[in-house]
Amino acid sequence: MGVPISQILLTTGFLLVLIGFWGILRHRNILRIIIGFSLIDTGMHIVLVATGYITGGTAPIIDEALGIKEAATRTVDPIPAALVVTAIVIGFSVTAIMLSFAIRLHATRKTLSIDALTESKW
Amino acid sequence: MVDSLFQPLNIFLLGLGGGFLIPLLYKIAKPLPAVGFIIALLGMTVISGVCLWSVHHGGSTIEVLTAGSVPPFSINLRFGPWEGFFSVCVNVVAMLGAWHLWGRLHASYPALLLYLILTMGINGMVMTRDLFNQFVFLEIVSIGTYGLLGFERTPAALAASFKYIMATVLASSFFLLGAGLLYHVTGTLNIDDMIANRALIIGPIGVTALLLVLSCLVLELKPFPANGWGLDVYETANSGIAALVSVGVSAGVFFALFKLLPLFEDHLGMLALSGGITFLFSNLVGLRQTSVQRMLGYSSIAQMGLLTLALALLQQLGAEQALPLVVGGLFINHLIAKAGLFWLAGIVERREVDGWSDVAGNPVLLSILAVFVVAIAGLPPFPGFWAKWELVMQAAAGERYIWIAVILVGSLLEAAYMFRWFKQATRPLPGETKISPTPGRLVPVLVCAALLFAGGYAAASLAGAASLLLVAPLVVGVGLYMLDWLPGRAKCVLMLAAVLVVGWWIVRDIDGLRRLFAVLLLAGGLVIAFASLYRSDARGGFYPMMAILLLSIASLLRAATSLEFFFHWELITLSSYFLIAQRREAHPYVLQFLLFSLVSAFCLLAGFGIAATANGTTALAAFATAGPDAAPAFMLLAIGFLIKAGAVGVHVWLPGAYAEADDDLSAMLSAVISKVAVFGLFMVTYLAIRSQVGLEMAHVMGWIGLLTTIAGAVMALQQSDIKRMLGYSSMSQIGYIITAIALMSHLGWVTAFYLVANHLMVKGILFLAAAGVILATGTRLLDQTGGLARKMPLTFAAVVIALISMSGLPPLAGFGGKWLLLSAMTDRGWYGLAIVGVLATFIGFLYMFRLAYSIFLGPQKTAYEEVREAPWPLLVPQFVLILAIFVLSFFPKLLMDPVSAAIDPYFASTLVWQGMSLETIYGYWNPVPVMAFSVAAAVVLLALFLLIYRAGWGRSIPVSTSHFYGFYRLVFAPLVTPVANFVWDGVCSLTIGLAGLVRRIYTGNGQTYALQVLCYVIVLYLLGTLRLTAG
Repeated sequence: MGVPISQILLTTGFLLVLIGFWGILRHRNILRIIIGFSLIDTGMHIVLVATGYITGGTAPIIDEALGIKEAATRTVDPIPAALVVTAIVIGFSVTAIMLSFAIRLHATRKTLSIDALTESKW
Repeated sequence: MVDSLFQPLNIFLLGLGGGFLIPLLYKIAKPLPAVGFIIALLGMTVISGVCLWSVHHGGSTIEVLTAGSVPPFSINLRFGPWEGFFSVCVNVVAMLGAWHLWGRLHASYPALLLYLILTMGINGMVMTRDLFNQFVFLEIVSIGTYGLLGFERTPAALAASFKYIMATVLASSFFLLGAGLLYHVTGTLNIDDMIANRALIIGPIGVTALLLVLSCLVLELKPFPANGWGLDVYETANSGIAALVSVGVSAGVFFALFKLLPLFEDHLGMLALSGGITFLFSNLVGLRQTSVQRMLGYSSIAQMGLLTLALALLQQLGAEQALPLVVGGLFINHLIAKAGLFWLAGIVERREVDGWSDVAGNPVLLSILAVFVVAIAGLPPFPGFWAKWELVMQAAAGERYIWIAVILVGSLLEAAYMFRWFKQATRPLPGETKISPTPGRLVPVLVCAALLFAGGYAAASLAGAASLLLVAPLVVGVGLYMLDWLPGRAKCVLMLAAVLVVGWWIVRDIDGLRRLFAVLLLAGGLVIAFASLYRSDARGGFYPMMAILLLSIASLLRAATSLEFFFHWELITLSSYFLIAQRREAHPYVLQFLLFSLVSAFCLLAGFGIAATANGTTALAAFATAGPDAAPAFMLLAIGFLIKAGAVGVHVWLPGAYAEADDDLSAMLSAVISKVAVFGLFMVTYLAIRSQVGLEMAHVMGWIGLLTTIAGAVMALQQSDIKRMLGYSSMSQIGYIITAIALMSHLGWVTAFYLVANHLMVKGILFLAAAGVILATGTRLLDQTGGLARKMPLTFAAVVIALISMSGLPPLAGFGGKWLLLSAMTDRGWYGLAIVGVLATFIGFLYMFRLAYSIFLGPQKTAYEEVREAPWPLLVPQFVLILAIFVLSFFPKLLMDPVSAAIDPYFASTLVWQGMSLETIYGYWNPVPVMAFSVAAAVVLLALFLLIYRAGWGRSIPVSTSHFYGFYRLVFAPLVTPVANFVWDGVCSLTIGLAGLVRRIYTGNGQTYALQVLCYVIVLYLLGTLRLTAG
């Protein structure tokens, strides 16, 4: 049946994380850096969701089709998904804050280059 | 009802509820948010306080379950003694911080909201027992911090905040991934379950997950070198916010590390390494800082490193029982002192260290700054002192000597830049603008200072050392400080009375050698302190410090354990530092004085640690029966005391301090305080008695002593300043005493004590006489005075007697001392030393004669026609001391018998003194041959010197005394090339150069910082998986 879906997810997730790192370290533009952070976040979320996946598992809803006894073996783990939902909210607010800083930074120095932010050092 | 009110969960209710209510309240009425904020923050603090109280007083740990189910199906919180301690500390600091920031906070309700949420988040980080919840609280704290940082609108602050956000977001993403993966391998998010199922965390995923969580926590504590982002924020943020980040946020992160530590059992070595490197290098780079807040940032980061190191080290050594004192002590010390320093920086509003001269005119600010700086440097009586002591003791017991070195070197560097800052603040510059903040602004820092004292007492109790005797010097000092508004002379009399009464009470029931030292130093100290009556000015703070100094000496002599000894040793160091710093001219030298004193103290600390391990106890009495294991301890302790005694090579601190201190204080320093180091040498040489290595080290010490004598004498001859000459002379005389102690024989020790007594009296007289001359003539230069004998006959007489006694001419006490010393040296077969000793004595004659000649004899200078005799407060002590010299000279048995009796027990079994009783030695004292020998030796040497002089100058007899001295000062000049100064200057500039090199890694570029963070994670990962630092 080919590559399991969790493998695909894990690969995608880590790839996104790496792309995010690359974005942070390579791009000088603050907005692009923020996009890099978003990519890292998304990548990590995908990885986390993937860890809860069970091949051929079903949604963790206990009803007529899924008895309590089978639940542990047949369902995907709902907890990573729950964690990721929380993490998405947090990631969203962090991105919002970073963007607001970007706006202020642009307002004070009319540039979005991170190379300009080196007043304090040593 | 009351129980449900004072429930830890209500802290979150207040924090979150208050946070959400604030915008609503703002809609209702403008002042309401502030009221809500105050109620919420106060409520949080009170609840945590009450809960801690009940936990501490017999109550069990409070477990908070949520969502109506039990863990792991729901999040649970815990409020035990540790959680309570951290939570109360953070809340109290948050409250004081809100007071400090009030002007900014109440102006905007979002700031109030963020502040409240942030405080609540830290409480959550402390209390939660769920790993994912830990992440959520971490993010709440981070977002709160970002928000508050955003209120600072300067470009630099915004830039720094952005870098901070980049680094912390990276770190927390690792936490998220790690927590998720840990859930994957253990099947739970509950921390307790996870710890119980620690065995499941194996394999590549488990280990990686663990290391990711660990990396995040370590990174949030801003480890060197991946911490440039933290420093930039500390430098540019508002002082109140910087304080909150430095102590509050760090406290939360540190506690998370603390509670997760059982998971990291395999990585303790790595953690210690990270902490140690951070502590050392942050303090190194701190040396180069000129910006106050950035400097405080380096210190903050260093302290967090020290905490991490201490935590990992104690865990490795299995010394959990020491955690409350060490971790608790270091934590609260840093929390209060650092927050206080940041707030003080905000009150003073001088960004650069140079600008702090403006504080000089404000004694209140200066006192508070002194308290904080002393606390951060880990000096008594503050909690950091007790914690560092215990940490070093534990490390010594576990034989982690490298970590001891790291801790001590790092502490020294930190003290260096902290006290340099303090020195700047005590130096008034012309054209200063006086800083006078309103009393309301000072409340937070004043509360912090008071809390530090209370914390110090609590830590002392925890260390088992708190007693009335221990704090007596400080209590008297504080009492006198309250009366500092009285006129100078009244304060002096009060001080003398207090020292007399309390000092007598302290030393009343000690015996043996300690009693002799106590009587001598206390009496000598009182007599010399009496001379301070000659000054009528107010001398703010002088007398309380003097009382602390003298009483600490008494307490030190009484100390039964090395901890008490070391406590009082540090108090003596500090009080002499503050006393010397009173005189503006001494400012260039005080830092040097303090740093050498601290090096000395740290050698002692390490030595005491090793000795305690070797002896199995910290009791000083055990020194007398120590085994050969104690030899390394002896070396460290001896080095420590030799530094403080001003031995050659490490004497560079001495002349400046002695010469530039107040004139009466110089007398005290030279006569009394230098003897404390001598007492220390007496005490530790027991350690060396029982091993051959020890005895050989003692021989080395004997040579160091005599080299000190010669070097001191030659340098004294070169001086043209009275007090400098006397300072070097003091060094020279202490050299004899060191040699006498190093003899390690009964006779040697009796001699040493005899020399101690003689030197105390002689130097007391000479420095006080110098004070009289300086008062009368207004100059300290020998060449500018002359012919004062007729104007100041009493002073002249005193000086002559003192010089005779010091030089070792018969019949006064010095002669007996020198003779005993020579006998003891030949007794031990140290002939080389004996010959050098004779030469040194002769050089001593030369400078002493010059001293008397150029001040009192010789041509009278017309400028001093009107000179009068010195005032009676200066003369009385001199004559009391002369009386003592006479007693010592003509009734030596009065001193010798008790000394001999006091020393005997220690030598009973180990060193047999060659069968001679003291009587027979004194029987040797047939004056005729002895005197004949001395006179012959003197004549031969003088003839030799004249011969050399003739050959060198081409004249048959000296045309004048000054020619003679000019010649010999020239001859000896190459000998006094300040080699030691070159060496120490070199060490200094090397260190500072290194600091300059290291700080290049802080490029200021956010991407570099992000890269550093990533690299740090990779390095931790590699170290953790390769188990290179498994411990």
